[in-house]
Amino acid sequence: MVARAPYWKTLTQPLIRQNPVTLQILGLCSALAVTTTLATALTMSVSLTIVVTLSCGIISLIRRHIPDTIRMIVQIVIIAAMVIVIDQFLQAYFAEISRALSVYVWLITTNCVVMARTETYASHNPPLPSMVDGFGYGLGYSLILMILGGLRELFGKGELFGAQVLPLADQGGWFTPLSLMLLAPSGFFLLGGMVWAIRSIRPEQAEAPEHTPPARMEPAQ
Amino acid sequence: MAARDWNPLRRLLALPNESRTKTILVAFLVSAISAALVSGATVWLRPIQAANRAAEEQARIAALVQGIPGMSDLLEQSGGTLSTVVIDLDRGRAAAEVTPATLEAALADPANWTVLDAGQNIAGLGQRPNFVQVYLLRDGDTVSLLLLPLSGQGYGGRIDAIMALRGDMNTIAGIAVTQHSETPGLGARIEESSWRASFPGTELRDASGELRFRVARGPASGVHEVDGITGATRTGRGVTQMVRFWLGPDGYGPLLDAIERGEF
Amino acid sequence: MSDAWNLFLLAAFVDNMPLTLFLGLCTFLALSRRTESAIGLGVAMTFVLGVSVPLNHLIYQAVLAPGAWAWAGRPELDLSYLALIAFIGVIAAIVQLLEMVLDRYFPRIHAAFGVFLPLLTVQCVILGGSLFMVERSYNFAQSAVFGFGSGVGFFVAVVMLSAIRVRLAYADLPAGLRGLGIAFVLTGLMSLGFASFTQMAAAQ
Repeated sequence: MVARAPYWKTLTQPLIRQNPVTLQILGLCSALAVTTTLATALTMSVSLTIVVTLSCGIISLIRRHIPDTIRMIVQIVIIAAMVIVIDQFLQAYFAEISRALSVYVWLITTNCVVMARTETYASHNPPLPSMVDGFGYGLGYSLILMILGGLRELFGKGELFGAQVLPLADQGGWFTPLSLMLLAPSGFFLLGGMVWAIRSIRPEQAEAPEHTPPARMEPAQ
Repeated sequence: MAARDWNPLRRLLALPNESRTKTILVAFLVSAISAALVSGATVWLRPIQAANRAAEEQARIAALVQGIPGMSDLLEQSGGTLSTVVIDLDRGRAAAEVTPATLEAALADPANWTVLDAGQNIAGLGQRPNFVQVYLLRDGDTVSLLLLPLSGQGYGGRIDAIMALRGDMNTIAGIAVTQHSETPGLGARIEESSWRASFPGTELRDASGELRFRVARGPASGVHEVDGITGATRTGRGVTQMVRFWLGPDGYGPLLDAIERGEF
Repeated sequence: MSDAWNLFLLAAFVDNMPLTLFLGLCTFLALSRRTESAIGLGVAMTFVLGVSVPLNHLIYQAVLAPGAWAWAGRPELDLSYLALIAFIGVIAAIVQLLEMVLDRYFPRIHAAFGVFLPLLTVQCVILGGSLFMVERSYNFAQSAVFGFGSGVGFFVAVVMLSAIRVRLAYADLPAGLRGLGIAFVLTGLMSLGFASFTQMAAAQ
């Protein structure tokens, strides 16, 4: 009865068609703060994917016994516990990257992606589909983060994963890094551009205009 | 997760979700299990974290020492290794009762920390340990190189560094940053060798003995300044305050005076 | 007094939560279409931040910080890794309490806030405020100023963005940029503008 096709759809849908960042406006905070280098973006992506998959699994296991009055706080406590464990693990084995990520790993607790999936899907579905769904959303989120991180590190420093890819001008090459890429505004611009690109390729994701102009063509005042 | 063989538990789980008993039970169980999981993971991983930090610190010291010009000659003269000792900061000499092995236990006791008042607290630390482990290189009876751990509040969090001073206790031989939480690409550049290269040869005090060291806002202008990092002014100020605190009377000041007088 | 004012300006403008630290963007973008919802969100955020950051400071210092249990003879106990769960619990309790108080004594304000209040529990801004307070080692007074200032900064930013987006309803945008896309670009421009405030901090 469990065919491979339904899980495949659950897994791949969040990549473009239902991407949490570009369509559902979820998980933005960390998407911008930690994408200055590919290494931090990758660590954040992996951490979030692990947290969302495990949290969905655990919450789905006990979903029948969670009283409605304490529903949200129970979910948050479970997610917070997962996050702390992952953070301790990062501090032990990836200390440098953990320092670069600082509080943003702990902010995975309030990451809208995790809460949205546990609240809407894992609370009403059996464990295995919930975990696949969570993993899929983690992948969708990771895709955006990796692209952002790659673009920002490449044009901001000429590096990818710390390795010099574009030779810097002050070391004899031709590339002058765009320092703006390392600052906050560039993340917003790049995301806006990505949203524009995705919605141009898939027009069904574009939002409807709030105001239809009158039938007569008049110059704007 | 529900056990199959405990009748009371099954009865409890079969209660309607909204009943008071079940609410309290679920809340308690979730909290207890989460706390156990988190504490277990932390306790298990903490030794590994401490070991990693210690190994990193050793590596930084080794790298710092290698990076100081003329270091290899100095090392050869003294026999090749740095010696280490725990210093009593208030008295400016080696601590009588504390050794590097017992330092961590000693610092767990709040009696071995000095609270700083607003006038002293220029590095944003709040309080300062009374004992610090330093590294030094002796040349006969005199100290030819002194490695001092520093810490202070930067822009995004604490900055830890190790500064190397030459035998005159006034000229910086080099600096290594061991920990920081500064902005990647901006303040985080304090760990890059290109910025640290402006430290060797910088002097701390002027002729009258006043601490003049600072991180400039732009290129360094004068023998008491090091280059600033564009876009990281506050990180630079954090470093300035950190150096001024630790090299001043509330930090290693008494120790440096003792070394200059030849009493160390 | 000037230290408090400086810290307030720092929290509100230099380290603006949505525009510089990237916190709270989900609700920032989702609720900035209309000015009324933006104002409601801003006020709720300011209140919860102003109360939760100092309260979390007290709890952190009393229970979780390294050395907090020295009075009981256990100075080496370091429970700071539990800060996350503790802060979330406190924030959830504050929000719940606020909702109950408003519902009981100020029902009109409660109706005006609508759905924002429960939503605030899971806001990165609120948790982020407390986490930054720990990382920067603020004392109690500084925590209060920092919390309140961050809230005011969020309020200013979200109201500004909503004012622009309301006007954009009449603009002729490419289909792909409508809504979320242009909101990102606008936020980026505002963020660029706010970046000039760092000079204000550096000049001190």
